[in-house]
Amino acid sequence: MKNIIIGQYLPGTSFLYKMDPRSKIIALMILMISTFILKDVTHILIMLGVVLLILKIGGIPIARIARGLKPIMILLLFTFTFQIIFIKTGTLIFDAELTLTVFTLPLMIFIILFWYLTRRYIKFKFLYLLITAFGILTMLALYTPGSVLSSSTLEVYGDGLSGAFFIMVRLIIIVTLSTILTLTTKPTDLNLGLEKILKPLSIIRINAEEIAMIISIALRYIPTLLDEANKIMLAQASRGVDFTEGKLKDKVMQIISLLVPMFIISFKRSDDLANAMEARSFVPGKRRTRLHTLSWHNLDTTVIVFCIFIFISAITVRVMF
Amino acid sequence: MAIKFEQVNFEYPSFDGYNFSALKDINLEIAEKGEFITLIGETGSGKSTLVQHMNALIRPTTGSVTIYGIKIEKDTKKKGKVKLNPLRQRVGLVFQFPEYQLFEETVLKDIIFGPKNFGVKESVAIERAKQVIKHVGLDEEYLKRSPFNLSGGEKKRVSIAGILAMEPDILVLDEPTSGLDPKGRDDLLKLFMGIHNDLNKTVIIITHDMNTVYKYASRVLVMNEGHLVYDGLPQELFSKENIKSWNLDIPDIITITRQLEDKLDVNFDRQPHTIQDLFELVKEVI
Repeated sequence: MKNIIIGQYLPGTSFLYKMDPRSKIIALMILMISTFILKDVTHILIMLGVVLLILKIGGIPIARIARGLKPIMILLLFTFTFQIIFIKTGTLIFDAELTLTVFTLPLMIFIILFWYLTRRYIKFKFLYLLITAFGILTMLALYTPGSVLSSSTLEVYGDGLSGAFFIMVRLIIIVTLSTILTLTTKPTDLNLGLEKILKPLSIIRINAEEIAMIISIALRYIPTLLDEANKIMLAQASRGVDFTEGKLKDKVMQIISLLVPMFIISFKRSDDLANAMEARSFVPGKRRTRLHTLSWHNLDTTVIVFCIFIFISAITVRVMF
Repeated sequence: MAIKFEQVNFEYPSFDGYNFSALKDINLEIAEKGEFITLIGETGSGKSTLVQHMNALIRPTTGSVTIYGIKIEKDTKKKGKVKLNPLRQRVGLVFQFPEYQLFEETVLKDIIFGPKNFGVKESVAIERAKQVIKHVGLDEEYLKRSPFNLSGGEKKRVSIAGILAMEPDILVLDEPTSGLDPKGRDDLLKLFMGIHNDLNKTVIIITHDMNTVYKYASRVLVMNEGHLVYDGLPQELFSKENIKSWNLDIPDIITITRQLEDKLDVNFDRQPHTIQDLFELVKEVI
């Protein structure tokens, strides 16, 4: 618990690590906007190529990015399916009659049950889900004995397919870009960069420094509080609380026995921290110097120029084609 | 043997791959009855980790701990079937900081929380609470108060009462006297001594106070950098040479005795145990 790293910072030495967090955040925003400007499959593929190039030069393993994409896999699958089903323009690529009969209905339920029971033993769960879904579709399309209960047609159009592909690639690009930022920037640097970028907001009375301070204190205390939670759980376990089992009624009691000390300890800690900060003459909103100052190098300018170039080309291809 | 450690190693996992090794090859046996053990060692030497093994709160990375005939190994929990909870009733562990366990509205509810978890009837548990609150030196009035409005020392006593009410066979206390005034400390130590003498139960105390060790303990365990470096009588421990390298103090009574021996140029025929003892010895010589 002691060495838990918040975020997913991956130590490295490539140019992405040498960049200033400010320029990284700005570059990320420019590239994301450019991605949203693009409207054509070819262009978005070129954009994907650029992102892959950044990964290659930046020396970030693609496998690490793929792991980051895992949580949004379901979202990707949903958008993909909906796009394919509901867009009905362009050329018809594929159509099939799906019929549900008295025989295939129980068969379908059986397959789903079988999938549900066996999925924990399969290593590639996602692939297994896809195979099952595809298997059911094929069965519905080809195997039609008995009296028909209902039937519908599955039609796939050119625009649906390309649209689905387009949105999927766009999502992947966005997630990959933000993953690059969190992989190559320490939370503290990110925080400092954010503070500097939000500085102009002081005109409308938003104090960027305070926001940054809140974020950094919160980040700093996550491991500490995890540690405390662990200790509380042990202390309660030695009084017979078994956090792994119990009925719902017991569960509520278990959670209360964990939460109440947790709150009390956090309040006490924040009180102590406030006193410690005041003892060292911390005054909110006062100007202060930093131990680590950010410095803008030629590299940062180059990257920003490169990103602006991509941004302009994105606008150009959008207007021209 | 109630608790038996066999070649126990324990590592705290860390994300960068360098696990911190808190216990190294511990072999230890603790009897069910009649022992008054103090566990000493500098901060970070693995004392708390060791006692958390004693009621199966954590499991050894390698080796095994046998508690009342139930063998605890690395993957004991995963195999299921083994119920660890009953062990925690038999070996009661009081944590160092009472803040980690107090959570109920009243002291009474907090004290009966443990017994109720182990299936004791509420009415019986309340009776026990009324007894143990007196044992720890507070009166019954305290049962109605909120545990959060108590002073540090009172919280400590309530948290100890919460474990005592479970009526464990072995009582393990992690620095029970830290943050208490000298009178409160002596009262509590007398209480533990009473539990040890009257009920003949084994009591294990983690402490930094060498006077406590010398005065009360029948057996002393010394931890140093994860190793169990000494297991034996306190009298012998303090005459050892390498006691300084374990960052341990000498009890006041021994320091005084040695200085007196120096000044009076005599050798007492035995080590005095209390100040009264020493007084008698000096009288004999003079």
